[in-house]
Formats: sequence, C-alpha cells, structure tokens
Amino acid sequence: MLKPILLVEDNPHDLELTLIALERSQLANEVIVVRDGADALDYLHARGSFANREQGNPAVVLLDLKLPKVDGLEVLAEIRGSATLKSIPVVMLTSSREEQDLIRSYELGVNAYVVKPVDFQEFVRAIADLGIFWAVLNEPPPGSHRYVKPQ
Amino acid sequence: MPQASTDTDLTTCDSEPIRTPGSIQPHGFLLALSPQLEVLQVSDNLADFTGIPPEKALGRPLADVIGARSAQALEHNLRGGQLRERPAYIATVGLEGEPFDVLAHAYDHLLVLEFERARGTIEAGIQQLYPLVGDFLNKISDADTIVELCQLAASEIRALTGFGRVLVYCFDEEGHGNVLAECLGEGYDGYLGQRFPASDIPRQARELYLANRIRLIQDADYQPSRLVPAENPLTGKPNDLSFASLRSVSPIHLQYMRNMGTMASMSVSLIVKDKLWGLISCHHTEARHLSFHQRSVCEQLGQILALRIRNRADADQMQFRLEVRRVMVNLLGGLTQGADFIENLRSVLPELLRFARAGGVAIVVDDRLISYGHTPDDDQIRGLVDWLSANVHEDLFHSDRLGTVYPEAAAYTASASGLMAMQISRIHQHYLLWFRPEVVYSIDWAGRPEKMEKSPGMLSPRTSFTSWREAIHGTSAPWHEGELELALEFRTALLGIALERAEQMADLAEELGRANKELEAFSYSVSHDLRAPLRHIVGFSDLLMETAGSDNPERRQRFLVNIKESARLAGKLVDDLLSFSQMGRAALRPVRVRMDDLVRGCIEKLAPDTLARRIDWQVSPLPVIVADPSFLQLALYNLLSNAVKFTAQSDPAVIRVTSEQLPGEIVFHVADNGVGFNMDYAHKLFGVFQRLHRMEDFQGTGIGLANVRRIVERHGGRVWARSAPGEGATFSFALPTNINTNTDKV
Repeated sequence: MLKPILLVEDNPHDLELTLIALERSQLANEVIVVRDGADALDYLHARGSFANREQGNPAVVLLDLKLPKVDGLEVLAEIRGSATLKSIPVVMLTSSREEQDLIRSYELGVNAYVVKPVDFQEFVRAIADLGIFWAVLNEPPPGSHRYVKPQ
Repeated sequence: MPQASTDTDLTTCDSEPIRTPGSIQPHGFLLALSPQLEVLQVSDNLADFTGIPPEKALGRPLADVIGARSAQALEHNLRGGQLRERPAYIATVGLEGEPFDVLAHAYDHLLVLEFERARGTIEAGIQQLYPLVGDFLNKISDADTIVELCQLAASEIRALTGFGRVLVYCFDEEGHGNVLAECLGEGYDGYLGQRFPASDIPRQARELYLANRIRLIQDADYQPSRLVPAENPLTGKPNDLSFASLRSVSPIHLQYMRNMGTMASMSVSLIVKDKLWGLISCHHTEARHLSFHQRSVCEQLGQILALRIRNRADADQMQFRLEVRRVMVNLLGGLTQGADFIENLRSVLPELLRFARAGGVAIVVDDRLISYGHTPDDDQIRGLVDWLSANVHEDLFHSDRLGTVYPEAAAYTASASGLMAMQISRIHQHYLLWFRPEVVYSIDWAGRPEKMEKSPGMLSPRTSFTSWREAIHGTSAPWHEGELELALEFRTALLGIALERAEQMADLAEELGRANKELEAFSYSVSHDLRAPLRHIVGFSDLLMETAGSDNPERRQRFLVNIKESARLAGKLVDDLLSFSQMGRAALRPVRVRMDDLVRGCIEKLAPDTLARRIDWQVSPLPVIVADPSFLQLALYNLLSNAVKFTAQSDPAVIRVTSEQLPGEIVFHVADNGVGFNMDYAHKLFGVFQRLHRMEDFQGTGIGLANVRRIVERHGGRVWARSAPGEGATFSFALPTNINTNTDKV
C-alpha cells in the first residue's frame, strides 16, 4: 500500500541515528537502505543486486551528499535525467550548508535540502517532518506506480 | 634663427646646373670621342693648345687632332672598355713641344679626354709624392683625436700643394661647416672654430662632392671655354661633366671666391660611411696650378683621413655606448629588485639621469608622476605628456629645441629645452621623460649666414667674411644617434622586465588559484567531514541520556562505542587535514634518495599491523633518485599501507613494488592482489576525503591518496591508478629525472 522510503547513507553512525529518527516518527513506510550512490542507482533502476525487487518507485529518496563512488549530486542528476525516475521526490540530507552544494542541488532539481541538525531532538523532528510530508501528505505525480506491498 | 633666411637662398642655388655647365675651365682642353675614337665634341679653346680650330677637329679621327704619335700613345688605353667614370691618368703626351697629362674617363656615352699642362706651380713628380703618403700614414696613426687627425692632414696638404690656407671642416646636422683644423701661410686669416653657413655649399654641390671627391679651381678669374657643339651629340642633351676634372663651376661660386679674396681653391671630400662628413678646403690668393698627380695624392690623403676619422668615430662611439650600456645594466639590475615597478624606477633615478646625460627625469604612469632633478613643474609635465600622446606616435621622441615643436615649452626652456620621451606603453599614458637644460651658446659665423645679398637687380653671393657672433637660445645639447639607439634598447629591456613581471604575476595567480582551490577543498572537507562526527557525538550522547535508567545495557554500550569512535575519527580528521595543508607549505629539500631503503623502511613500519597476515612482498631493485626523502617516504607509506589495507581478504596478499625508466622520468608501481576498484571512479581516487568503500569495510579518513598526489605533484611528477574490481590495483607515480626544486611553491 505504502511506497517505501529510500535512504542512501554511507556513514554507519548517521545511518543509525537516521533510522532511530524514522522509527520515532512512526511512519508505516518501509525504509530501504543503500550504502553508496552506485547502489542507490542500482536500486532505482531495479538492476544488479536489486533486479528482483518489487516494482515501483520509492515515495522519497533521502540522499546523503557525500557518498563513496557516486556522490549524492551525481545520483540526483541521474534521477532527473531518467524518464522513469525524474518525478521521484529527492531530499538532500547533508552535514553542511555549503553554498556550492545548495546551488548545485537546486540546479539539478532537488525537492528539499536539509542540513542535519546537530541537536538530536531537532534531528529527530526534522526527519519525522520529512517523512510525514513526503511519504504521507505529499500527493505523488499522476501516473506514478502505486507501490503495492506484497500480502 | 639663421635657418629661416638661408633656406630660400639654398633653393636658389639648388637649381644651378652645376653638373652640366656646358663649359670647362680653360687651363686645359677637352675632347669627347666616340667608341671608334672619332672626335665628337671639343672645347672651344682647342686652337690655343693645338692650333686646330674646333670646327676642323669635329668628325675627325683623334690622330688628326693631336698627332699620330700622341694618339698612338693613348689609343691602347682608350680601347677595350677599361675606362671608368672617374678620370684616370693614361699618359703624358707632347703637344706643340709641351708635355700634357691626359686624363680619360667614360661617362655620358662618351670617351672624355682632358689635357692639362703637366707642370704644376710646385714641381712634384710621382717619385716625390708617394713617399709623402706613406709618411702621412705613419704620422696619422699616432693621432688620438679627430681634431689632431685633421690638423695633421691640413699641414700635410699645405706642404704638398702650397695653398695659403688649408681648412678642415666637418658638417653638423644642419649642414653648417665647423672648422676643426687649419694650416695658414703668412697673411691668411684664420677661421678655426668658426662656422660656415650651410648655404655656402648648395645641396647639389654636396651631392657632387660625394660622387667626385676632388675639385680644383685654378683661377677664379677664368673665362670658361664652351663645348662645341654645345650638347652631347649622342644624347642630344647638355654634357654631364660631373666627373670631368676641368668642369667649369658656377659663376656664383666664382663671385663668392673673389669676394673672399681667393683666386684658387681646391676641395677634397671627406666621405665617412657614405656621407659627406666634411671637406678639406684650400684657398690661395693667387691663381694656382696643381698637376693631376698632386691632386691624386691630395685625394688619397683625404681618403686616409676619412678612414681614420671613421675608425676614431667608431671607437668613440663604442666607448660611449660601452659607458651608457654599463649605466643601463646597473639600471636594469635595480629595476628587477622589488615588486612595484614604479618604486623600482624611483630607486634608480640618479642612474636614469646619468643614462641619458640629462638634467631632469620624470616618470609618468597614468596618474602617478615622479620627477627628479631639474624638470618643469608637475602641471607642465602633464601638459607635455598630453601633447605627446596626442601628437607623437613613435616609441621614442626627441628634440633639442622643444619650444619650436611645442610652443608651451618656451615657458621652461631653462630646464627642458631638450626632451627625450619614451613611451613605455602604447595603450596607457606611461612615459619616461628626460629633460636637458638650455645651453645658450654663441656661434662665430665666418660671415653672416646669408649667402645671397641682394644687390640691385641681381643675386650676388655674400661679400662679408668677417666673423659674426650669434647667440643661440632655446636649445639643449643634441641627442646623439647612439643615445637614441640605446634608449630604444633600454625600452626593449624595460618591456622585457614588464613582460617577465606579467608572467610572474600569471604564475603567481595560477599558484594562488591552485592554493585557493585546495583551500576550498579543505574548507569543504572541514564543513562536511568534521561536522559529521561532532553531530554523531551529540546525537548518541542525547540517546544515551534518554536511555539512562532503562534496562538496555547493550544499547547504551553501543552508543558509548559510537561516541568514542566519532571522537577518535574527528581527531584523526583534524590531524590529517593539518598534515595535508602542511604538505603544501613545507619546503622540499631534494637529495639523492635510495628508493630501496625507503621501501624497506615503510615495510618495517607496517610490520605491527601485518603480524597476523601472510604478505608476500616482491620488491624489485629500485634506483637512486633525487627527491625529498621524508615527503617521498610518506607517499610510499600511504601507497603500501593502502595495499595492505585492501588485500585484507587475500591470502596470501601479494604486494609488488617495481620501477621503470621512461624518457625524462622514473615510474614506480605498487601493485596488489586486493579488492581493487571500479575504474569508473578512478578520477575521484586522489581527491581529499574521497572514499570508494564503506567506512566499516575499510578504515581511514580518505586522505592518504590525496597526500600521495600532492607530494608527487610537488616534485613535478604525476600519479595514476589502474584496477578492476576483484583483480587488485596498481598505483603508479612518475618523478621527473631532473626535479625542478621549486621549494617555495604554496
């Protein structure tokens, strides 16, 4: 029923903190975790080790900026350049508010750009807000595949 | 100014047909022959010498006019085309019982024979004359200055010819003749130090002096002897007598001579570097005859003198240039000292003055103006520069009477009668100005410099030769050709320095750009990579506090471990960043380095981490290179520890170190059989804090390869890597054989 959230995060500590935050937001959506940009693209294109995953695009991609192999901006660029992926909401989750990253991200068509708050309570709130907004409140573009959770 | 009045007179004389007077001086006679030696033209005094009237001679063979014997004596030399345009002595023949020297030259389509009495006023045969030339050569080689040379020549020529006054004078840039030396007989007035106005010798006379180096007027009272027929029968035009010894001179000149009290005169041209440098001018109060041989010797003395003058002038010029160049070298040395070009110029102001022997100097660079010495005031200089940039388009402008071209300069003749202006930039108003003060000087004219004096109804040459003193204002010492050439040379050198500076600036900008880029990368890394562990510490601490009192000790334990790891990572990131930035700043100290030793040292250093592992080190013999050993060891250590790290799952790990000599560089390879990497991401390998693997798979901050690249590039080398996932990786770096030890790069 609900589409999953794709979390792209390489840092194990960040990953742990983000998952805790998502857990606390009590979203029903499944969270799919990939650890670098190349894996994220494999997942989105349903290829490589993700060739057999369920059909459909995620509700939102939470994308770290600095990633091994293919970084967040490159992943974003490829999503926006792909006919089947371009309408997926993408939220950049990053450590810093570097102007060059902000500019690049918006140029590439990011939907939101979030600097991870240092304070953990705020971080939890931010992640929860993001999840609720993009996975629940936001109406996805027409014609996008509805995710059907296997019964 | 004397010029104004004389110019008009010069043009009057310029139109005199001095090459084609149609007549000769009557102390000899002239026969013009066809190539077949048929008489085509004669001078109308022929009968005075041969008893044959001109009309009887025309159309006849030469023998009919001068007798078969004389003709035979000449014929051999007249045939075969050996004759040139300058007259040559070919024989002495007897006519009516008297010996005549015969000069022949071929010109204007005719063979021209000139007959002169062989006896001169002073008896002098070839035997007496030629030793004089040798003697003169000896004396003249001891003379040091041009004036001494001229003095010797004047005495020699007077002794040789008996002329009452022999002057040697040189022409200045305006054509006035300055008397440098003289030798006088009793009763002759001296002209030493005086100046003959340019108008005394019209332009075309000067041209003729260049072509024909000697001219003799035996008797100013002569009645010219006309040519019959009046025109050259082969050309139908008046005969060109440029080279004829007997050529008749302008009646104006004869009047000039008579006015001067001179009845005989001789001029010998002094030709230096194809220019009429001066004249040896001889005067006598009575008519005077010189034989061809005497004249030839005088001509030769003139040539010798001219040659020596040229050498002397060259030597003086050389000496002068040497001195100026020495000043210039000092100047240029001073100019390359500091960073600010203008300040550099300011530091060499005294040398700048000395360079151009100027009284004042000014540097104008857009709005900046620096003046030194005796100069006009700032506003006047700016006005002058505006005038220059509007009116002068050459790189170098000079004047020794600035007021005549730029009237405003009349207000400051005292400091700047002379100006040499050098345009440094053609785009901007950048000038170097040298000022020379006014030199008020007086000229002792040998008579007022107006050749023509208007007597009612006709033009007549000047009659006054009494010295007349003129004071000259508004002029400076002249700028010599050598000074101007050196100034241009200086300009080229200045531009060279400016260009070099521009290049240095470009280098610096590039260097700064590189440093800046690294700084950006640095700050980018700080904002991303250093924030993350701090945020983790805060996050896990919060979680830890939340779970206080809860009964999940494992969870609490993990949070604590995370906090500790994050703190450690933050510390390591700071260290790595600092070492990376230091690597860019510290000076390289290249020495000869044994690579074998460096590799062995690294392997020993890695030993504690590899105790539990099987590693097959395969190190080929490596060369000795020139590099900074501590930096290079760090690079090697990074590569080798990477190889150890990424072969953790290989058993045994095989790590090979090899080298190869390529043209101009030595390449080192570190190859392993580890996990390798995807070549798609090879371009990211050497960036700061770039990782190709997950943190928990392989430890490290991601700075090692950035360090390697930086170290190798600072040695002037390059780095690269090859791999395929699962097939191991080869990291290579090349160092140039000749390391450019640019130690102070950023």
